[in-house]
Amino acid sequence: MKGEPAERLDPRAITLWKITGTLNMLPLLVGAGFVSWALVRFGGGSFFLGVLPVLAVLVLAGGVVGVVPGMRWRRWRYEIRPDEVDLQRGIFWISRTLVPLARIQHVDTRQGPLQRRFGLSTVVFYTAAGPNQIPELSTPVAAEARDRIAELTGEQDEL
Amino acid sequence: MLVGAISTLRRWISGLVLPGVFLLLSQGFSLWTVTLFLLGIIVVAVLASLWGFLSWRATTYAVTGNSFRLRQGVFQKSERTIPLDHVQSVDTVQGIIQRPFGVYEVRIETAGGGVSEPDASLSALDRDAVQTLRREIEGSRIERSEETTGPTVLRRLSTRELLVAGATSGQIGVAFSVLAIGFQFLDNFFPEDFVRRLVETLAPNWLMVLLILVPVGLLLAWLLAIAGTVLAYTGFTLSREGDFLYIKRGLLERREATIPLARIQAVRISEGLLRQPFGLASLRVESAGYGEDSGVSATLFPLLPHDEVGEFLAVAAPEFAVAPTLKPLPRRALRRYVFRATFVYLIIAFAAAPVSFLVLQSALGLLTLSLILPAAAYGWLCYRDAGWAIEEDRLVVRYRSLGRKTAVAPRRRLQSRGVTRNPFQRRARLATFLAEVASGSGGSALRVRDLDAGAAETLAGELGPGAHLERA
Repeated sequence: MKGEPAERLDPRAITLWKITGTLNMLPLLVGAGFVSWALVRFGGGSFFLGVLPVLAVLVLAGGVVGVVPGMRWRRWRYEIRPDEVDLQRGIFWISRTLVPLARIQHVDTRQGPLQRRFGLSTVVFYTAAGPNQIPELSTPVAAEARDRIAELTGEQDEL
Repeated sequence: MLVGAISTLRRWISGLVLPGVFLLLSQGFSLWTVTLFLLGIIVVAVLASLWGFLSWRATTYAVTGNSFRLRQGVFQKSERTIPLDHVQSVDTVQGIIQRPFGVYEVRIETAGGGVSEPDASLSALDRDAVQTLRREIEGSRIERSEETTGPTVLRRLSTRELLVAGATSGQIGVAFSVLAIGFQFLDNFFPEDFVRRLVETLAPNWLMVLLILVPVGLLLAWLLAIAGTVLAYTGFTLSREGDFLYIKRGLLERREATIPLARIQAVRISEGLLRQPFGLASLRVESAGYGEDSGVSATLFPLLPHDEVGEFLAVAAPEFAVAPTLKPLPRRALRRYVFRATFVYLIIAFAAAPVSFLVLQSALGLLTLSLILPAAAYGWLCYRDAGWAIEEDRLVVRYRSLGRKTAVAPRRRLQSRGVTRNPFQRRARLATFLAEVASGSGGSALRVRDLDAGAAETLAGELGPGAHLERA
């Protein structure tokens, strides 16, 4: 296996992930707030015990929003080589995936509503065993990557 | 047509039986209710026959040019065209209804078709029509030599092997739960007094209940498992003609399935817990287009001696016949295997012991510690059995999940390769290697846990495209 893949995701991905992280944590925070309120109001627990659930969720949210996006971005790398797509990702479980272009059946780009605001897109390519994706590339880069994968896929001789 | 009518009839009646019986029971067996019941059945039968006739008349099929066309529907007409290149397999099923009429249900499956339903199905064709249809569909893909010899039989499951397969199938757990449900049903059926007296005479105290019920239950479950295997695999015959494998099996419902060799992605040799000691194995194929629910149709052969697997594959699916010496895992992987196997039990023991001390005031919770030793032994077994090899462009992976499994996949069938490392593995310079092949329900993985990190990377590289060029 060759060295690390060369390309990185768009830096705006970090901000986007922070926003989605916050949105994901909100319901949990509301739930914890409710539990805390109930503990203080009906449980007769002390105030400090009561705020524990909210504190725990806040710490978790701090991790999810403050730390994880940056780490995730620094780890995420990809490279489209003439014969393979090489992906590296993961914070604790670092995984490296190699997908031969000859195995790729088709390739899409996708854009969610938030991604559109940031001008980001996700490239999804499918093999017979399922999809793989490169998330959060700036839209022109994603389009280029998609076209390049499609073009290279067409050129492959059967292995 | 008749078959169509009967199967509609069966479907409709099974829908009506419960309300009918309920009506009979609730109203009592007076002349009036019985007449009503019979009348209902007759009306349904007439309507079903009419419907069967109409749908039979509406169904036509043809192979024209490069596609298979199917027209059906009484009120809502539908017409389906399937390009012959997309046809994955032509399978036949002969159910109990079809048998007396000597006809078959034909199911045509396509690549990427729905998992639970065939893409096109014809409910009643006679033997000749089936053969003609098969030739027409498959003929487009194979250039058959002039004198067609017909498929040669590779292996047949003997009655003895069938029974051994049932006895060692390891389906006892499944059978046991079926039994448990059955018992509850019986419970409702017999008067409560009768059951209580039966239990009291047979087993005066709970120890006796355990001593009697458990072995009897296990025995029954075991017999049920054997019966299930007999139903599914009686007369299992594998034959091959050119690039197609044909499987025939079934006691009441005779099934015939076709597996094109070109579609087989991987072969798994499985030595179940009860089979490995006797040197027995079963073979499965991962074949693109075969859905999860037709899982049994992916059985290449239900039971054969492990020594003969190589020989068998050499004639049945030569691409997968390899017997390499596997590379073992490094010694330092053993710790991870034992840890992974005992981890859950350690948590349970650590939780259970204090709880039982505090709440029950007994040391009973310490008993959970006794689970740890067998779990550790299992972890050691998993470590010892794990191994991998590349031979002649084929990846071979062996692992244990209860039974010992060996998977073989050619390099050109691998959809992707991956190497994953968690923090513990990084510290021990280990990694998990994973290669994906296409399978009915998306992908299916060949995985080696905790091999040397360097070896994992080399493996991922060597299995890539162009690797043979580099080596040359």
